[in-house]
Amino acid sequence: MTLHQIELSGVNKYYGAYHALRDIDLKIRKGSFVALVGPSGCGKSTLLRSLAGLESISAGDLVIAGTRMNGVPPRKRDLAMVFQSYALYPHMTVEENLTYSLRMRGVSKEEARRKAEEVATTTGLSALLGRYPRELSGGQRQRVAMSRAIIRNPKAFLFDEPLSNLDAALRVHMRKEIRALHDRLGATSVYVTHDQVEAMTMADHVVVMRQGVIEQQGAPLELYDRPANQFVAGFIGSPAMNFVPAQVGADGRSVVLDLGTPHTVALTKSLEAGRVLIVGIRPEHLQLAGEADAGLRLPVGSVESTGAATYVTTATQPELVVVLNSRVSIRPGETLPLHLDPAHLHLFDRETQIRLA
Amino acid sequence: MRRLLLSIRDGRGFDIGLVSVPLIFLFAMAGLPLLYNIVMSFQEVDMFSLGTFARPFVGFKNYITLFSQPETWPILGNTAIFVVASIAGQFTIGFALALFFWTGFPGSSWLRGLFLVSWVMPGLVVGAIWNWILSGDFGVLNFILKESGLVSANIFWRSDPNFSLWAVVIANIWLGISFNMILLSVGLSAIPRDLYEAAELDGANVVQRFYTITLPMMRSSIGALVALGLIFTLQQFDLFAAITAGGPNNSSNVAQYWAWDLSFRQYDFAQGATISVIMIVFVMFASVVYVRSTRHEVRG
Amino acid sequence: MSIALRDKLMLMVAVLLAAVYLFPLYWMYVTALKTGSAMFASPPSFWPSDPQWSIYGSVWESRNVGRYLWNSLVIASGAVSLIVILGTGCAYVLARYRNAWVDVGLFLILMLQVLPASLMITPIFVGFSQLGLLDYPRVAVILAIAAKSMPFFVVLVRAAFMSVPMELEEAALVDGNSRFGAFFHIVLPLARNGILVSAILIFMQAFGEFVYSKSMIQTIEYQPASVGLNSFMGPNTNEWNNIMAYAAMYVTPILAIFVLLQRRIVSGLTSGALK
Repeated sequence: MTLHQIELSGVNKYYGAYHALRDIDLKIRKGSFVALVGPSGCGKSTLLRSLAGLESISAGDLVIAGTRMNGVPPRKRDLAMVFQSYALYPHMTVEENLTYSLRMRGVSKEEARRKAEEVATTTGLSALLGRYPRELSGGQRQRVAMSRAIIRNPKAFLFDEPLSNLDAALRVHMRKEIRALHDRLGATSVYVTHDQVEAMTMADHVVVMRQGVIEQQGAPLELYDRPANQFVAGFIGSPAMNFVPAQVGADGRSVVLDLGTPHTVALTKSLEAGRVLIVGIRPEHLQLAGEADAGLRLPVGSVESTGAATYVTTATQPELVVVLNSRVSIRPGETLPLHLDPAHLHLFDRETQIRLA
Repeated sequence: MRRLLLSIRDGRGFDIGLVSVPLIFLFAMAGLPLLYNIVMSFQEVDMFSLGTFARPFVGFKNYITLFSQPETWPILGNTAIFVVASIAGQFTIGFALALFFWTGFPGSSWLRGLFLVSWVMPGLVVGAIWNWILSGDFGVLNFILKESGLVSANIFWRSDPNFSLWAVVIANIWLGISFNMILLSVGLSAIPRDLYEAAELDGANVVQRFYTITLPMMRSSIGALVALGLIFTLQQFDLFAAITAGGPNNSSNVAQYWAWDLSFRQYDFAQGATISVIMIVFVMFASVVYVRSTRHEVRG
Repeated sequence: MSIALRDKLMLMVAVLLAAVYLFPLYWMYVTALKTGSAMFASPPSFWPSDPQWSIYGSVWESRNVGRYLWNSLVIASGAVSLIVILGTGCAYVLARYRNAWVDVGLFLILMLQVLPASLMITPIFVGFSQLGLLDYPRVAVILAIAAKSMPFFVVLVRAAFMSVPMELEEAALVDGNSRFGAFFHIVLPLARNGILVSAILIFMQAFGEFVYSKSMIQTIEYQPASVGLNSFMGPNTNEWNNIMAYAAMYVTPILAIFVLLQRRIVSGLTSGALK
């Protein structure tokens, strides 16, 4: 009885000389929602397409539901994919789109129609079964694409940036719908996106990739709280983490931030004195302080207010972005009193960019 | 009107000027002759009355004469055979080639261009070459057929009434392959790749993908191609002039060659005009089908 | 099988198919070089053992190929010039707008390109003879060819104009150009490639035109190469090597242009005109 629905071990892929996927090890539990996230060109789509069989793997093993699937053609893998462009068959009605996979397998017309109606009810498409894709809105097309996947009852769902073509409000709504559907069906889902917010809010397990390598994988909050390296730290969380070059103080119990002028912050653990490193501070962890407990006083460069929050950029070298959760009346040129909990410091080796324990 | 003329450099007059001059030219050079054809088919025309416009009006006499001649129906039949056989041959071979090159192996786009050669060559030259290839005693086609065991004796393509039409059909198929292939290639590449991927994931094999995705989505291309094929095949003249000249005994004669022959060999301009009118009606019909299956867009 | 092997196999098959398809061309060149007896040899040889390169010179002289080719050139150039001058502007306007008038215009133009020359020649001949145009036979043929080929040109060039973004022309107008200025200085240069390719295609078609030339040009001095070839091939002709030599000299300039511009021509055709 396999616990993992999909297992990738030592997977490598080359396009000619280009090493697109490097030593990928990934185990996906049955019923979990896994997000593959990273900047363009990191290999997330390649990885997804390799799962589907649309690309071949150069080395390593791909096992789906206990069976080794290297070299097995896509139509035998029993995986369903929702494409970024939806790939709806334009010359078929919604119903025909849904029943296509069933018809290819020889399911009877009545049975196929019944299933289509069933799925359409789940996704709210019952009224649209007779329409053609060109007559539908973006959100409706997206749901048809998902319904087409659902009707197949596959071993896993693969999503290739399905929300990128939708406007922002619809994206937020569809995020919840997709996750809700996943839960309702008890499905296993692999979801590719470049948007870390989508990954963080939807997934049980997030895989951050860069240049063909898995930089870190784990639960969303794990990646947020303890990023393994500078790249993951800067990628997860919005606005992005601030990075400041720094040096451990002479006593080994504090660190001096080099912001043009030096600012000292306490450490929770002692480190080798004089060591140079990079300190990461999330914008939301710099909190407005009263005059008494302000550990940092920083000059203000610019101020932007959204009504609910205030974004302050400091006039330091490097600049720090601060997110304050209230309306603050402060102006450029003034000094901002801030408090920083030492537990919220992220420390990275300056050379390797890896997290210091 | 004055305003229009003033706006010739700028504004609506500019557009109207640019379009109306060529259209007037086309109307004069193509529209008027069309009408003239119809007029002449109702007149009695001979060598002496060529110079005048007012010729005796004879009603439908030319049409009746035409259809009472023994060669009329066989020639029309030949025309139909010629069209159907040519289109069938060009289309299947063109489609097969288009599919073959669409797989996109390295070198495919360059090699595909080679197949366009027949389109730029003068029809007479193509006809002359095929005339020689189809020669009964010395033609290389007969040689190849005999060597491969497909036939036992020479086929006299040009002089045997049973084969003369097919001689021109063969040459015409060769000629039309490039156009068919290009048009179908364009249609094929308009189908988004991810539709095939989706179909593959949905469980369709190669044959199923061809019938459920490729063919239905090519419907308008195929419709346009068949209509255009009809139009261009009915325009084919040079091959007939170069290979069989309609003979022997009208066995390879087709309507468009016969119309010319009636006017310029037999100097029976009235009959020439009559058959021209009949054929033009058919051609117009096909072109309406073509126009309907093409799409037009405006500039981005 | 691996992808690389499959690709090589496909390439080999493609080369084979191309060879079969181009065989008639090859046969033309080979036959031209054969001696009289080699031509009629059975089995025919696929490579001349005794190539007669001098045949080109002798056919050129004896059949006056130079004069024929010159007439073809005159006729083709005249027709193309007329077509480009009249058709370019027309295509521009038809690309710029989309309304009922444009639809009518496009429809008419499409209908006009379907009419077979051999059916139109009868009224054109009679009409021209009444107008006295047949005294200038090459001009008559130029006019007739221009009318026949202009619709095709307009369709192709319209596609070229459609690929020029409207914003560029609008920017030019805002910058102070008249419509004419914007057309001539901005839009036209950008569509230049498409126009050139289309003009070349029309030229090649006009170079090989037969029906109008044969019907309207009675004097040998003015006949183009297509008519010359036709009169060369009587019903019982058997000097095929000479005929093929003539055909080779006739067609090689066209083939040369085609080979040089093949890429451009193919992309010009596939980009928009054939939609």
